[in-house]
Amino acid sequence: MDSKKELRIAYGLAAILLIVGVTSYAAFSAKAPDEPIRLMFKTSAGKVLFQHKLHTIPSGYSVSCGDCHHHPEDNESAMRACGDCHDPSGKKTEAVVNTCSECHDADEFEDTDMMKKSDALHGQCIDCHKEFEAGPAECSQCHVM
Amino acid sequence: MSNEKKFIVSHAPFWHDGSSISERSYHTMLAAMPAVLFGLIQYGIPALAVISLSISTAIIWELIINKITKLPNTIGDGNAALMGLVFGMMMPATLPWWIVATGTFIAVVIGKYIFGGIGSNAFHPVVVSITILLISWNSYFDFDNALVNYDFGFPAVFPLGALKAFGTGSIHGFSLSGLLMGQQVGAIGSTFGLGLIIGGIYLILRGFIRWEISISFLAGMFLAAMIFNMANPEKFAGPFFHILTGYSLIGAFFLATEDSSSPVNCIPMLIYGAGAGILTVLIRNIGAYVDGVLYAILIMNLVNPLLDKIRPKAIGKVA
Repeated sequence: MDSKKELRIAYGLAAILLIVGVTSYAAFSAKAPDEPIRLMFKTSAGKVLFQHKLHTIPSGYSVSCGDCHHHPEDNESAMRACGDCHDPSGKKTEAVVNTCSECHDADEFEDTDMMKKSDALHGQCIDCHKEFEAGPAECSQCHVM
Repeated sequence: MSNEKKFIVSHAPFWHDGSSISERSYHTMLAAMPAVLFGLIQYGIPALAVISLSISTAIIWELIINKITKLPNTIGDGNAALMGLVFGMMMPATLPWWIVATGTFIAVVIGKYIFGGIGSNAFHPVVVSITILLISWNSYFDFDNALVNYDFGFPAVFPLGALKAFGTGSIHGFSLSGLLMGQQVGAIGSTFGLGLIIGGIYLILRGFIRWEISISFLAGMFLAAMIFNMANPEKFAGPFFHILTGYSLIGAFFLATEDSSSPVNCIPMLIYGAGAGILTVLIRNIGAYVDGVLYAILIMNLVNPLLDKIRPKAIGKVA
């Protein structure tokens, strides 16, 4: 292979792959699925990888949506992410207030204390694991520093 | 005295056998194709984006640095394209474009050109690049986090991460055959063990890489992992698990064997490979990092000139 041919191959490779790369990044960027498959919680005590889909599918743990997504109770199609209502700080931030305001008037929830996200998640996970005597029990079995 | 002719040396002119750097580069890229294609099927368009941008930007950086330094245009030798491919293979499929472009810049300009270009780099340029990226943007290289939106039909945790955090109890879901067939979370081109082994064997048979380095790398890993496993099977995984996970196989066949950063004599090659394999397991088992391949290879790159001091004595003697 002479050097001119080698150069032509390199230029061609660079041009074609640049177009493919830019197009792929621009047009086919990875989108999060409507229903999460796994969730990574990043906490001050390390990260926690939660297998969301495994908990819900029949071949997994068959946990129904309403067992965790407890609000609103009467509408399974309106599931909210935990963090929509439970802020990490436990405060009623603007985002939390906006979520609540979608269904409630301000005076309905102004006196309501909102559990912080870590307490809410700990309660959900630990209580369920204890109830079914399955799944991780120790901190270090979920939290990875 | 025997009349048998031991060694015949003719005088110039010599005939070139046709081998070239470009032949070597493109054959190495060909050898990587089984693992790359598997990664593209597994991770889809995002993986294609990373691989394509990685190869193209590596070539473009080399072209730019050639122009700036007024050196001959070397992109035709395919080395930049190869570096781009190997870099892309070691990335998670969801890596942002700007990290890909930064990474190939570090590999080509800092890893290769600052040291004097092809054949002069003391360290593997791609390994230098990825270790710098790991220090700079570590969170993007957390495979568990990067791939949360992928639905796999196998345990969806990075095997080495699970092992490090939770011990061997957490890796029972992985079968060795599954790991060999790429049923594991990881980088685009580093999970399909069988494909990497086939590529490695091809490169060894064609003489593009030295078997001494690859085999001693894997043997070093095997031995070290076996000793750890025998000492504490609850904490340390067995040797085959280590060999089939993380960057082990891509390290053995595509990283440790890089020409200018590895030894040229037989015994130094064996020491170099075994040292990198043993260090990999040491870093994984008792070090701070989940995978030790990159740091192990960098350390052995560093001692490479010293190892090459072990060489055959010159024939004849000084009067």
